[in-house]
Amino acid sequence: MDEALKEITSKQYKEGFVTDVEQEYVPKGLSEQIIRQISAIKQEPQWLLEFRLDAFRKWQKMTPPTWGHLTLPDIDFQDIIYYAAPKKDSDRPKEIDPKLQETFDKLGIPISEREVLAGVKSKVAVDAVFDSVSVTTTFRKTLAEKGIIFCSFSEAVREHPELVRKYLASVVPAGDNFYAALNSAVFSDGSFCYIPKGVKCPMDLSSYFRINASGTGQFERTLIVADEGSQVSYMEGCTAPMRDEHQLHAAVVEIVVEAGADVRYSTVQNWYPGDDQGRGGILNLVTKRGICKGEGSHLSWTQVETGSAITWKYPSTILKGDNSSSEFYSVALTNNYQQADTGTKMIHLGKNTKSRIISKGISAGHSQNSYRGLVRMNSGAAGARNYSQCDSLLIGSLCGAHTFPVIKNDCPRAIVEHEATTSKISEDQLFYLNQRGVPPEEAVSLIVNGYAKEVLQRLPMEFAVEAQKLLSVSLEGSVG
Amino acid sequence: MDRLYVIGWDEVPQHITLGAGESLKATFVFPSRVDAALDLTVDLTGPGAELDLAGIFVCADAETVDIRTRVRHLAGGCKSNQLFRGVADGRSRVRFDGLVYVAPDAQKTEAYQSCNSLLLNEAARVETDPQLEIYADDVVCSHGAAIGYLSADELFYMRSRGIPEEEARRLQILSFLSPVLSRLPESAYSLIGFQR
Amino acid sequence: MIMEALLEIKGLHASVEGKEILHGVDLTIRPGEAHAVMGPNGAGKSTLSAVLTGRPGYEVTAGSVRFAGRDLLSMSPEERSWAGLFLSFQYPIEIPGVSMTNFLKAAVSARRKAAGLPELSAGEFLSLMKQKMALLKMKPEFAKREVNVGFSGGEKKRGEIFQMAMLEPVLSILDETDSGLDVDALKIVADGVNSLRTPETSAIIITHYHKLLEYIAPDVVHVLKEGRIVKTGGKELADQIEVEGFEGIDG
Repeated sequence: MDEALKEITSKQYKEGFVTDVEQEYVPKGLSEQIIRQISAIKQEPQWLLEFRLDAFRKWQKMTPPTWGHLTLPDIDFQDIIYYAAPKKDSDRPKEIDPKLQETFDKLGIPISEREVLAGVKSKVAVDAVFDSVSVTTTFRKTLAEKGIIFCSFSEAVREHPELVRKYLASVVPAGDNFYAALNSAVFSDGSFCYIPKGVKCPMDLSSYFRINASGTGQFERTLIVADEGSQVSYMEGCTAPMRDEHQLHAAVVEIVVEAGADVRYSTVQNWYPGDDQGRGGILNLVTKRGICKGEGSHLSWTQVETGSAITWKYPSTILKGDNSSSEFYSVALTNNYQQADTGTKMIHLGKNTKSRIISKGISAGHSQNSYRGLVRMNSGAAGARNYSQCDSLLIGSLCGAHTFPVIKNDCPRAIVEHEATTSKISEDQLFYLNQRGVPPEEAVSLIVNGYAKEVLQRLPMEFAVEAQKLLSVSLEGSVG
Repeated sequence: MDRLYVIGWDEVPQHITLGAGESLKATFVFPSRVDAALDLTVDLTGPGAELDLAGIFVCADAETVDIRTRVRHLAGGCKSNQLFRGVADGRSRVRFDGLVYVAPDAQKTEAYQSCNSLLLNEAARVETDPQLEIYADDVVCSHGAAIGYLSADELFYMRSRGIPEEEARRLQILSFLSPVLSRLPESAYSLIGFQR
Repeated sequence: MIMEALLEIKGLHASVEGKEILHGVDLTIRPGEAHAVMGPNGAGKSTLSAVLTGRPGYEVTAGSVRFAGRDLLSMSPEERSWAGLFLSFQYPIEIPGVSMTNFLKAAVSARRKAAGLPELSAGEFLSLMKQKMALLKMKPEFAKREVNVGFSGGEKKRGEIFQMAMLEPVLSILDETDSGLDVDALKIVADGVNSLRTPETSAIIITHYHKLLEYIAPDVVHVLKEGRIVKTGGKELADQIEVEGFEGIDG
């Protein structure tokens, strides 16, 4: 079986191509000057420039966090290009650059409304971000008819400055942590979404992030606001070319959920993970946080993490509104030399708030995979409840699986329960499948998909199929 | 070996090594109404070593209980179990920080850890920080932690059978603590505020 | 009539964790034959089925096994399956999150691929499932359930026979398929097995008791004791064991 397991972990990353497109850059390095330049290119208002500069000053005084169970390479922040965008003709073309169209076609991302309307692709509106800019956002008009704003962050700054100003950094303050501060200083583009009161978004919304240029980082910013009683399902995907050097991705996602609103946020993270020797790959250092602000609001996080050389990510929820609820469903698969330190924080402030955490870690090859979580019951969280279940599956004897949940309870009317298990992939299950004629690699893939099913079935249909395939591909070469 | 340690009374070991085939059953009692701390590392260094560790605390006043355990499986084929049960009332502070470490190649490890607490007062605080750090694949490891309060349904059930409220609460707490309580001689019950 | 043997076991010695369990087993099965292997607990019955199917952890120390003209012991578990060997597990394994349909689709596809046959379309596969489920009187929701998860003892054994129907083996090993079944469940399972029998397919029925053999008539009965076949006879041998137990049976 060892041989067979080895075969399955030789990984193929089919999104690793580079698009040959002319790009414009700001010079390498980070300074006030660079930040002013980015802000100027984007023709931003003064308040936003001030926000960036304030964040930059905070960042300069901060040091990178070291508490993760990660061995991070030294990042030279002066050796990164903070803004790269495909060049456009002087007057903005109505049609998207054919090369970019081709890129997203190849990635299977429906950036043409026609395809979707023809029923070729499932009905979803897409904001496609290529390096530092959003290249297109589909179905804006259809959505606008319902009062829904779905556009690139830059457009939101221009067209809805009052909304952006009201909510930006209201969940993740500029100085929240080292990487969030960096993002606040240099963020380039991302998605903005506002669902008005009582509106149920008629289609899934999604952002697709593509890193293309070398020597750059991607620092996108996503802001989702679901006003009272509204509903939206949001999906996020990402890929990058195969390169020998690391590339930095430091995003911030903020979600505001008002009373009675319901937001489902799903991620399938497939950044380039590096090669089987651990060379290259994306350093995925992101801050995602939502606030269930109003009574009865609901936020659900679902993530499938298979990519990136390093993942440092804790989508979290502040449960402020009474009777609000949140879930975190996660599958994190690491192979070869990947490292993941991921989990969630559930901060219970309101009465009768509920949270549920289901985490499934899968480690193969030489990888290290950690679940890190915090569940906090503040003294006012009477009647609050949390349940966490964190399972780890080990494939092969050279990897590690770790669980670091912290529970703090200050409320005698709150209940927190945590359970975790760690075990290796079952030889009995493998043999059973082998006896039925299923070869070892396929058997591992079936078992892992079954193990992750509770999380996968939370994803929107098309995403779930994609995620299943990704798990299988990511496991290639892991059977040993 | 079957040992009972009362924190603050007995000399408590800080570092225990269990070699091949050695086993230890140890129970730690944190007496009520005094600050108590345990900082214990147990290394399992030879195949067949077995550790059965338990602790019990009943905080009634403003005491602080600080528990830190490090159970390190440095050799394969060992078993460890950690079982903690406690109650935080008054203005007490409880902190549990427990690590299970499984070294590379420590295959066929079985490790369990459980720390459940009852929080009985608004002014009391409980923080638990259970950790699994595992570098071998042929293992069965699990931990569980829970912080909660007494079930109102249970309480009502008992009262409806004529058991006075105070007695019913005492019974509930006893039942919650029983997995560890059952390891103590009755003479030790008074240390944690139970007379029998 | 002389027919070539389907399975030929010669002088098979096998051990588990360094301890020898089989001390030289000889057994020949021709196409169409059903052989019962009976014996007390610890005789090596399950070891025999594990060794034949290539279960990890079982080491063959001596002897040979030929199956349909090939050296069985050099084949991987899935290759043995593709060659037509099927084991109904004594303790079927649970695979959470994987539906019976997906599980069998993977099995049938791999098998067809190995045989150089084109893959079945989703429709063809589902109608095959339906047909076999009808044959064994399985409820439709069975196809959606996770493999063996939450199954009763009887459901698990019926599930095994259903898989056998799907994979159409040439040699089936029923390892204690009767254990834990009440008379009704036993009859359902036996009916299933009988309905799948053809003049070409053979079976090894491993059992402790005589009961199953009343429903599935064996052509040959072997008694396995302490890692060896100590006696071989017809159906009457099973009847003798029913009355006298294994104590009195010796080679």
